[in-house]
Amino acid sequence: MNAVLRPITNHHAAPLQVRKLSHGYEDGTVLAGIDLSLQPGSVLGLIGRNGAGKSTLIRAMVGLLKPDSGEAFLFGEPALKISDSVKARLAYVPQQPEALAWLTAQQMFDYVGRFYPDWDASFAKTKLREWGILPNKVLGKLSPGERQRVDLIRALASQPSLLILDEPAAALDPVARRDLLREIALRAGEAGTTVLFSTHIVSDLERVASDIAFLHEGKLLLQCAVDESKERFARLWLPASMSAAAPTDALSRCRHADGSLSVVVERRADGAWPEAALLPGARVDALGLEDLFVEIAG
Amino acid sequence: MFAIQPTSAEPIYRQIVEQLRRLIAGGQLVTGELLPSVRDVAGFHAINPMTVSRAYGMAESEGMLERLRGKGMAVAATTRSTATQAQRMALLEPQLQDLARHARELELPGDAVLRRLGRLLEE
Repeated sequence: MNAVLRPITNHHAAPLQVRKLSHGYEDGTVLAGIDLSLQPGSVLGLIGRNGAGKSTLIRAMVGLLKPDSGEAFLFGEPALKISDSVKARLAYVPQQPEALAWLTAQQMFDYVGRFYPDWDASFAKTKLREWGILPNKVLGKLSPGERQRVDLIRALASQPSLLILDEPAAALDPVARRDLLREIALRAGEAGTTVLFSTHIVSDLERVASDIAFLHEGKLLLQCAVDESKERFARLWLPASMSAAAPTDALSRCRHADGSLSVVVERRADGAWPEAALLPGARVDALGLEDLFVEIAG
Repeated sequence: MFAIQPTSAEPIYRQIVEQLRRLIAGGQLVTGELLPSVRDVAGFHAINPMTVSRAYGMAESEGMLERLRGKGMAVAATTRSTATQAQRMALLEPQLQDLARHARELELPGDAVLRRLGRLLEE
């Protein structure tokens, strides 16, 4: 299924790999030893609260930020010094694109299109119309949302092997957002495009992502397949009288006003829930991703 | 043709498999009927094609679907178009258990719930 249609120059190198990446700002550590590897054709949804460091991680991945320690690799090349051939296969859309503000959307496409061997000019033209962008308006005069839409079109039209999007949903109305998700899903499934996108809209991620990663307090939690996350984790609720028996290795614990306790638990290797789930009054609730996220990050 | 709820705690591939099971058991999908392609389902719902393939593959391995060369997936010939009432009833069991649990949590009397359910079934 994950067939890659175009040849990979660096054989067997993962499209994206991050090793022990750490970074901090003056007000504290943002990333604390991140490890991550993406397989071709996978779609990773990166979620985390505002300020969790998603954009910092993404900027380090694409070589726009030099981390305090650790490294990121794109198709096997260090992100801080990638070759032109890797650049041509990568598309990154920041939250607030600012480059080439003096050009119109059409001029910018004509200009950047020359750098991409597989540039799809007719796709770019169609999408501009569908997403309501005037092709002859100077980019600097577009709203931030319109500006990001233009950049998303630029990224998709280049037909990249690796597509990295920082909060792409924020700029789009529901119809265009669904349209973008469809593009992401079909390109990953059919052309083998590898995608990483950050979001705080969990339902977007549930639709198209094959894998998730929660960025929380500098670490990536619950790195796994989306389907697996729903089947492997659940909320265990214990009445006050039983709360002392809660598993000590639970992913999160929340004490309620009546003394009852809810914890996020993981299935054991044999598929069973931890033993506390069998206690009288205990209840196991399946969790959607949003609930799981709130339980852990809340 | 499928109703997909991405936010449900039930993974999307499972939602598709269970809907296929119900549609086939209820006779809405009959032997030989072609299913929409993976691409059509994925494109329509803006979901990952791999999720749809996984669901179709599971349904195939359970014998609900069969792959027709060059045509795609169809409802398997071995599937009886209408399962027995007991088999169809078994498919409803999880929802009935959920309903019973919710009714108990709300401390609703059973006969009131059954009256309402009866009216819904007559609609």
